Amino acid sequence: MSQITLTGIAKAYGTSVAIAPMDLTVADGEFLTLLGPSGCGKTTLMRMIAGITLPDQGAIRINGRDMAALPPEKRNVGLVFQSYALFPHMTVAANVGFGLKMRGIARDAAAERVRAALALVDLEPLAARYPRELSGGQQQRVALARAIVIEPDVLLLDEPLSNLDAKLREHLREDLRNLQQRLRVTAIYVTHDQAEAMALADRIIVMDKGRIVEEGAPVDLYRAPQTRFAAEFLGQTNVVAVTAAGLLPWNTGVAGPADGMVSIRPEDIAVTPALDGAGRVLSLTFLGPAVEYRIDIGGTVLRARDSGTGTAILPQGTQVDLTLRVPPHPLQGVA
Amino acid sequence: MTARSGLHPSDGRWITVGLGASLLIALGLPLIVALLWSFMDPATGWFAPDILPPSYALDHWEWAARNGDIAQALLLSVGIGLAVTALTALLALPTAYALAKLPFAMKRAVELFILAPLIVPGIIVAVGIGTIFFRLDLAFSIPGVILVQTVGTLPFMIRVLAATIEAIPNDLINAARSLGAGPAAVARHILIPLAWPGFVAGGLLTFISSFEEFEKTFIIGSPFVQTLPVILWGYLGGRVMVFPTAAVVTFILLVPMLIVFFLAERVLRDDVMAAGMGKL
Amino acid sequence: MRRLPQGVVAALLVLPSGGYLALFFGLPLLLAFLGSFGLYARGGDGGFTLRHYADLFGTQAYRDGLVFSTYLAIVPTLVSLAISLPLAMGLAQTFPGRKLFNALYKVPLVVPGIVAAFIVMTLFDRGGLAARLLTPIGIDLPKIVRDDWAVGVIIATAWKAVPFMTLIIGGSLGAIQKDIILAARTLGATPLTAFWRIQIPLALPGITAAFLLTFIGGMGAFAVPNLLGPVYPLPLSVHMYVNAFERNNWGLVAAMGTMLSLISVLVLLAYYRTTRSLRTAYGGEVR
Ligand SMILES: Nc1ncnc2c1ncn2[C@@H]1O[C@H](COP(=O)(O)OP(=O)(O)OP(=O)(O)O)[C@@H](O)[C@H]1O
Ligand SMILES: [Mg+2]
Repeated sequence: MSQITLTGIAKAYGTSVAIAPMDLTVADGEFLTLLGPSGCGKTTLMRMIAGITLPDQGAIRINGRDMAALPPEKRNVGLVFQSYALFPHMTVAANVGFGLKMRGIARDAAAERVRAALALVDLEPLAARYPRELSGGQQQRVALARAIVIEPDVLLLDEPLSNLDAKLREHLREDLRNLQQRLRVTAIYVTHDQAEAMALADRIIVMDKGRIVEEGAPVDLYRAPQTRFAAEFLGQTNVVAVTAAGLLPWNTGVAGPADGMVSIRPEDIAVTPALDGAGRVLSLTFLGPAVEYRIDIGGTVLRARDSGTGTAILPQGTQVDLTLRVPPHPLQGVA
Repeated sequence: MTARSGLHPSDGRWITVGLGASLLIALGLPLIVALLWSFMDPATGWFAPDILPPSYALDHWEWAARNGDIAQALLLSVGIGLAVTALTALLALPTAYALAKLPFAMKRAVELFILAPLIVPGIIVAVGIGTIFFRLDLAFSIPGVILVQTVGTLPFMIRVLAATIEAIPNDLINAARSLGAGPAAVARHILIPLAWPGFVAGGLLTFISSFEEFEKTFIIGSPFVQTLPVILWGYLGGRVMVFPTAAVVTFILLVPMLIVFFLAERVLRDDVMAAGMGKL
Repeated sequence: MRRLPQGVVAALLVLPSGGYLALFFGLPLLLAFLGSFGLYARGGDGGFTLRHYADLFGTQAYRDGLVFSTYLAIVPTLVSLAISLPLAMGLAQTFPGRKLFNALYKVPLVVPGIVAAFIVMTLFDRGGLAARLLTPIGIDLPKIVRDDWAVGVIIATAWKAVPFMTLIIGGSLGAIQKDIILAARTLGATPLTAFWRIQIPLALPGITAAFLLTFIGGMGAFAVPNLLGPVYPLPLSVHMYVNAFERNNWGLVAAMGTMLSLISVLVLLAYYRTTRSLRTAYGGEVR
C-alpha cells in the first residue's frame, strides 16, 4: 500500500526554476510515466522524492507520512539511476545485497533474497561478476534488481533504458512492466521517449519547463490531447488552423470546431490517388512498416502515413485525395 | 630524421641506455659508496687515494646491532610514522569529502588555508609551535613530535584524498543512501573502498615524510626524542664525523623506506600522486 | 528533526583538520608574526616595537643570510627543473625497461635529506671518491663541500628534488589529451613547436606548482646547508635555530620567520599570476 502525494513541491537552482510549484498524486500500484524534453525537471522531481535533493517548498508524503525530515536512507524508496550507479568495487551479488545489509538482514536470508531477485531479472549465473564485466543491458538489470530487492514502497526509474540499443530497450521494457505488475509496486518512470512512455504507463504526465502540461492514460493522451505541446510531444501530428467557417483549409467538407487549432495524426489521414485530387505528393519517406508522405493541399503541408501493406507507393507529384479516418481533434488554448 | 620523433617513437633503446647510465651514476654509485663505507675495516681505514677499501669488516654493523639506541630509534621512527599516518588520514577524510563533494561558502579560502602549511617553510612552523608546546608541556615529547609532523603531512593527504573522492560519481553515494546507508555506512562501504588509491598514495607519502622528517622533529623533540634522522644528524653534524657509523645508520634508515616504497610502487598510481600536487 | 543544511554539514566536516591546522599552524604563525613586533612575546615587555626587524636588517650576517636563503631556494630549483623536464619527457616515451626506470627514478624521493648530504660528503668532500677518481688523471676537483657557492648544498637538494618535480611534471604532461598534440601536428607544428606551444603551456600549472614547492623546501632547509654549506653566510633557517635555542632571542627568530614566510607568499602570488590565464581558460580545472 503505497501512495505518493506531492503538494506544492518546488525547486529552483539559483534563479533558474527546475520545478514550479506542483501537485501530483500517484495511486498505489500505479505505473506512472514522466515524459518531457531534456531539462524539464524530471530528474529533479525524482531526486526530491528519493530525498537526494531537498525541495525549496511543499510536502512529499508517502502513505500519508511526511518525508521532509527523512534522509534518503530512511525513505525505503528504490531508485534506478540513469547511469545505473553500480558500485564498481562490489560483485553483482554484493551490489544487490547492499540494501539488505544496510537493513541488518541476516546473511542467509539476504543471500536467498538476492538470489531470488537475480532470478527475477535472469541474472543468476552472473552473481559473482563485477559491474565492469557486464554488458549495458545486464548492468541495467542489476540496477533494477538492487532497487527491488529491498521491497521498496516506491520504485523510481530515471531513464533506465536510454543507454541501450533499440532492440534491447524493447525487450527490457516488457520485462519491466511484467515485473512491476507482479510485484504490484508503485512506480514512477522517467523517459523522454514517447513510445516507451505509452508502452509502459498506466498514466502519463507530460512535463515542460518544470510544470505539468497534461496528464492522462496513454490512449486518451494520444488520441485526445488537450494541448499542442502534448499532441506534438507524443508522436507526430499535424496542427492545423481551422477557418472562420469552422472548415479545414482544403475544404473537405469535414467541419472542425468553431475556431482555433486541431490536431490530425498522420496515420488518421488516408491518401488515395485521384487525377483531380486537391493534394499533391511533395516527398515521401519509406519507413518499413509504413510510408510517410508530405502532401501539399491548398498551400498547407501535411504529413500522412500509409501503413496499408501491399498498396502501391505513390511517386512524387501524384495528385491525391485526402480523407480523415477520425474527426480532427480540437486543441485548447493555442493560437 | 626529425620526422621520426614524437609521432613515430624512434628506437627506444637509446633512451634505455641514457637513462640507465644516468641512474647508475646518480643513484647506484652513491649507494655503493655508502655501502662500502659501512663495511670499512677500522683496522686499516679507507684513505685517499684508495678507490676501494683495502679490507672489509663487519665491525660497524656489529656495533649497530649491539647498540640499543639504534634499534630503539628505528622502532620509534616506525611508531611515530604509523601514528602520524593514522592521525593524518583520520583528520583528512572528512575535510577531503567536503572539499570534493559539498558546495559551501569560502571554499577557496579553506583550500588556501589547508595549503598554507606547504607554503610556509617547516622550520618556521616548528619554531612557532615550539613556543606553544612549551606552555602545553608537549615540547620534547613524542606526542609533540607526532602533532608537529602532522601539520606538514595533512595538506598533502587532504589534497590527494579530495582528488580521488572527486572522481567518485555522486550517484554512487546517492544510490547507497537510497538503499539505506547512512553517512557512516556510505563512508565505510563506498567512500573509503573507492578512495583507497588515494589513501594508499597519501598514506605512503605521509609515512615516508614522517620517517625522514628531520627539521621539525629535531626542533620539537631533540634531544629526548631520538628518531633515526636525528641520530644520523648526530654522527654527521657533531664534533667528529663518523662516516662508517653514519653509513650503517643510513642503511638502517633507507632499507625500510625502500621496502615500503617498492611494495607501494606496485599499487601506487602516478596520476593519483600528481593529482594531489599538480595544481595548487 | 530537520535535516542539517549542507553548509553546516560542510563546516562540521572541515572542522577536524581546519581546527587542527588553526591550532597548531595558524596560531603559532600568528603568535610569531605578532611576536616579531614585540606583541604577546615571550620574555618581551609586550609593547609594539620594530627592534627585531632593525636587528635583522641592521646585522650584516642576517642580511647576507636572507640573500643566501633565497639563493638556496632558487638555484637548486632551477637545476632540478632543467633535469626534470627532459626526464619527464623521456619517461613518457616507450622504451625497454620503462616500468623499472619509472620506479627507480623515484628512489631519492624516500631518501632523507640528511642521507643525501651524507652521500654528497662521501663523494665530493676533500678526499672523497670523486677526487680520488679524478686526481690520477690530472683533474683537480674544486672545493664542493662547504664552498662559497654552496655547490654541495645545491647537488644534494637538487638530487632529492628531481624525482618530485619529475613526478608532478610527468603527471601534468600525461594528463594532456594526446589528440590535442596530434591536432597541432596535423596543423603543421613540428614536435618541438608542439612541445613548446602546446604541451608546456598546458602543463604549466603542474610545472610551476613543482617549482614553488621545491623553492620553499630549499628556503626553509636547515640540515643540508648546515652540513654542506659554507661557514659564512649561514642561511636564515640556521640563524633561526641558533637564535631560538642557543640565544633565546625569540623576537628576532619571529622576525626571520616572518621574512621567510613573506618571500614564500610572494612566490605563491607569482604562481597564481602565472597560471591564472590557464585557470580561467579551463574553468579552474586543467586536465
Ligand atoms: N545541481 C544543479 N545545479 C543547477 N542547476 C541544475 C542542477 N540540476 C539540475 N539543474 C537544472 O534544473 C533543470 C532540470 O534538470 P533535470 O536534471 O531535472 O532535467 P531532466 O528533465 O531530468 O533532463 P534530462 O532529460 O536531460 O535528464 C535543468 O535546467 C538543469 O539545468
Ligand atoms: Mg534527467
